[in-house]
Amino acid sequence: MAASSIAARPGIVLEHRPWWRSRMTIVAAIVGAMVICHLTLSRTLSWPDSLVWHSLTHYLDNIQNWLAAESAKTDPNFAYRLIHWISSGLDALVRWLYHLLSSWLTWPGTTLLGGLLAWRFGGRRAAVIMVGSFASFAALGLWDDSMQTLALMLVAVALSLLVGVPLGIVAGRSDRFNGLITPVLDAMQIVPAFAYLMPVVIFFSVGPAAAVITTMVYSVPPAVRITALGIRSVPANTVEAALALGSTKRQLLWKVQLPLARRLLLLSVNQTILFALSMVVIAGLINTEGGLGAPVTNGLNSDPALAILAGVAIVVMAIALDRVTEAIAERTDTAKRHLDVAGRKRARLATGAVFLSIAVAAILGHLLSAGSAYTRWTAQDWLRTQVQNALDYVQKPTTFLFKDITNPVGNFLVAHMLQPLDTFLVETPWFITLAGLAAIAFVLSGLRPATTTILMFALIGAIGEWQDAMDTFSQVLVATAIAVAIGIVLGVLAAEIPWVSRAIRPVNDVLQTLPQLVYVIPFVYIFPISYVPGLIASVLYAFPVVVRLVERGVRDVAPETVEAAGAFGATRLQTLVKVKIPLARDAIMLGINQGIIMVLAVVVIAGLVGSGALGYAVAAGLQRGQFGIGVVASIAILAMGIALDRVTRGNRSAAKGGRS
Amino acid sequence: MRGKWLYGAVGVVAALAAVAGLIVASTATARPTAAKASCGTVTLNEQAWTGSTANTYVAKYVLEKYLGCKVKVTDIAEIPVYQAMAQGKVSAVLEDWQHVAQYKQYATKQKTVTLEGSNGLTGHIGWFIPKYLLQKYPSFATWKGIKGHEKVFASPEAPQGMFLGGDPSYEQKDTQLIQALGLKLKHVTVGAETAEVARYSQLIAQRKPVIFYWWTPEYRNAELNLTEVKLPARMKGCEDDGTTNAPIAKYRCAYSSYPLEKVFSTKFVKSGSPAVAVLKRWAWPSNADQNLVSSWIAGQHMDPQKAAEKYVKSHMAVVNKWLGK
Repeated sequence: MAASSIAARPGIVLEHRPWWRSRMTIVAAIVGAMVICHLTLSRTLSWPDSLVWHSLTHYLDNIQNWLAAESAKTDPNFAYRLIHWISSGLDALVRWLYHLLSSWLTWPGTTLLGGLLAWRFGGRRAAVIMVGSFASFAALGLWDDSMQTLALMLVAVALSLLVGVPLGIVAGRSDRFNGLITPVLDAMQIVPAFAYLMPVVIFFSVGPAAAVITTMVYSVPPAVRITALGIRSVPANTVEAALALGSTKRQLLWKVQLPLARRLLLLSVNQTILFALSMVVIAGLINTEGGLGAPVTNGLNSDPALAILAGVAIVVMAIALDRVTEAIAERTDTAKRHLDVAGRKRARLATGAVFLSIAVAAILGHLLSAGSAYTRWTAQDWLRTQVQNALDYVQKPTTFLFKDITNPVGNFLVAHMLQPLDTFLVETPWFITLAGLAAIAFVLSGLRPATTTILMFALIGAIGEWQDAMDTFSQVLVATAIAVAIGIVLGVLAAEIPWVSRAIRPVNDVLQTLPQLVYVIPFVYIFPISYVPGLIASVLYAFPVVVRLVERGVRDVAPETVEAAGAFGATRLQTLVKVKIPLARDAIMLGINQGIIMVLAVVVIAGLVGSGALGYAVAAGLQRGQFGIGVVASIAILAMGIALDRVTRGNRSAAKGGRS
Repeated sequence: MRGKWLYGAVGVVAALAAVAGLIVASTATARPTAAKASCGTVTLNEQAWTGSTANTYVAKYVLEKYLGCKVKVTDIAEIPVYQAMAQGKVSAVLEDWQHVAQYKQYATKQKTVTLEGSNGLTGHIGWFIPKYLLQKYPSFATWKGIKGHEKVFASPEAPQGMFLGGDPSYEQKDTQLIQALGLKLKHVTVGAETAEVARYSQLIAQRKPVIFYWWTPEYRNAELNLTEVKLPARMKGCEDDGTTNAPIAKYRCAYSSYPLEKVFSTKFVKSGSPAVAVLKRWAWPSNADQNLVSSWIAGQHMDPQKAAEKYVKSHMAVVNKWLGK
């Protein structure tokens, strides 16, 4: 995912070829040939057992046991002591922040702190959002859990940006570093957290530190990628002009590249927050301090309604943090701020007043013994009953919804899409699958991606995961196809129609942060066919990213090109279809590419609700203590991700050469 | 210039107020903990099933009420919690379903956790069907009676007949067992326990046939009226763990029944806390007791603390035994 050329540049001449020589036709022909082979050979030929390295899982298990034994020694070596030092530091930091928010400030003080800080630095709207979010935590009856999660997330997001932004700046300025770090970032995003929870626990023990580290593995990559994209998107002529005027490299960065990349830096903060909050539940599996993850994991069994309320609290927190940071960034935009001396005085006075009133609120809170967590009156019981009623409705197999809509639709999806594709991929002889995929990669992207594809699928075979991988592969393909279709349509609409864009943004935020296990359970009831709930979870998690990227891409088409089209008398629809969409092709391809990554990120959750195969193996690896099995399945998911990424990357590398 | 003084004054007042706030805060929080220092803090881990919630909160209530302990409940996943116990961050797990590999690694080799015997429950895994099926197919009481009738269990993803598999975190061998018995069922992995419950309860609500991996003790069994399918008797060298790659014939037997284990952190055992002795004696009188508390928590959505209180108050004889009275 070289997140390099999102904005299509005017001036790229699109190739014109007759339809029968177009890429899509060739790909279709390859697929056709594969189907014919499948039908004529009509024999299952899975990856040969003699080519499988069976002892790999055993080695991996030994490594883990050795690490655990080392960490249990009374006299640990230097590396362990260093890690221990880091983890106690992080533990202390998160705990301190939690105490600040709960027992020191008390709940009135915390609410006021949030509200007034947002008001002072972000304006009135930000303050309303902030106070509203605190009010929701109170109303949901999850105040204490929310503060635990808030403290954890503030630390995780801050550290992710602290690590990610500098790396992104380097990656934005150096192609070599970018090439080096991209596969690492891919791995961080694709390898399921379940696979590395246990090593994290061995090194960092359980507690806030382990939770922060687990979260960061997932939330650092967007910070790096989007920062790099921001630096790269600064127009080359601006950079040249600055250099011609005698800027040093440092001046170029601080005075030109960073200010001009502001908007994308902002997007990186936004995505870091959303990615971090999507890890709350998994990080909760190794945290000792509770937080919103615990009611989700436990509630799923004993109290699903409570699990849903906790999920809502996570979403509220994500949206509030995102909108407030955005407002703050807008307000502190140096280009927009023209304060005179008096204005500055007023601002400083206001800051003083803010801290004064927070202190007063905290003291009052203590004097009136308001308590560290708000527990007086909550709407939790009422909400739980409502949610439970909705769940009961969903679970009833006699309703109209189930009998006439979801059950037939689900059965159709399984019988006519998933099942045939699964049989096709699992039963087709492995060498034909391999050759076909490589040929498609060659047509779409070139020789090197084709080689990578072969190597990756061979790796999957060699570690003994061929059959499971083909099963997962078929589901990933269907999910990606649906997600990309929805994403492109909504993305184009959002770029063209402002209200669609406004309406869709909160939906995207919800889908990206609501724990999948929470929203997928109702689907287990209304689509009681094993693959479908997982498929829905994947689609719902993946399409927001496609929407965001497609919307940006279509919007960023140079206005002069659009004007020129208008001047030639093109209608709005013609401009869209003939000019904007073709020019946004790079962004759309990146959207497809990211969509696949997101679908793969849900494979484990999908495995937990019936998709089986690799996702199930990873989950089993953690939960049955079979580290090796989990890691091997994760490697297969990663290899599949890399192969699919290379296949869909297209010829972007060629376009890149012309610019840098 | 006058303005600067003003800001300065505001700043100083704010700082003083903050300090005052902190002092109030520290005195307010310091007081209540001092009185009950003898037991200290005990950390119990609640696992992601309702029975475990029942264990944890009943033990918590007893330790807090009768020993004055401070009990912290964590929600760490089943395997990482071993590492947590090894480091002394979690004191005890009150219900462990035979994580044999972990026993070897942590209890035998490292000696960082200790096995403390049964929690009074007998765990048993098996193949379950709803009772109403026996009216139409009385032969389904044993596996032999299912042979040849697999199609009864047909589903969209398994037209030949579906066997609903269990949560990946639980020990199972159903793929191997089906093969060893020569049944034509397809093993469908439905995923997490919640998903499995959703799937079979949906089918049971429609009074459709279903056969699935399930276990006792579990409070739902009575409510849903489930019955177990008889599998071949246990033999010598019988295997229950499908991941060990044993020869297929070794799997041709029912799952074993075993006591559910209490596991303590060695650091906790050596801590000298009076809670250690009480937790060592702590055990349910029978499976029914845990099912009762579970049904209050999950069936009636009672707060776990209140459910624990209700159990303790109505079972004082049991509690006194735990307390050594």
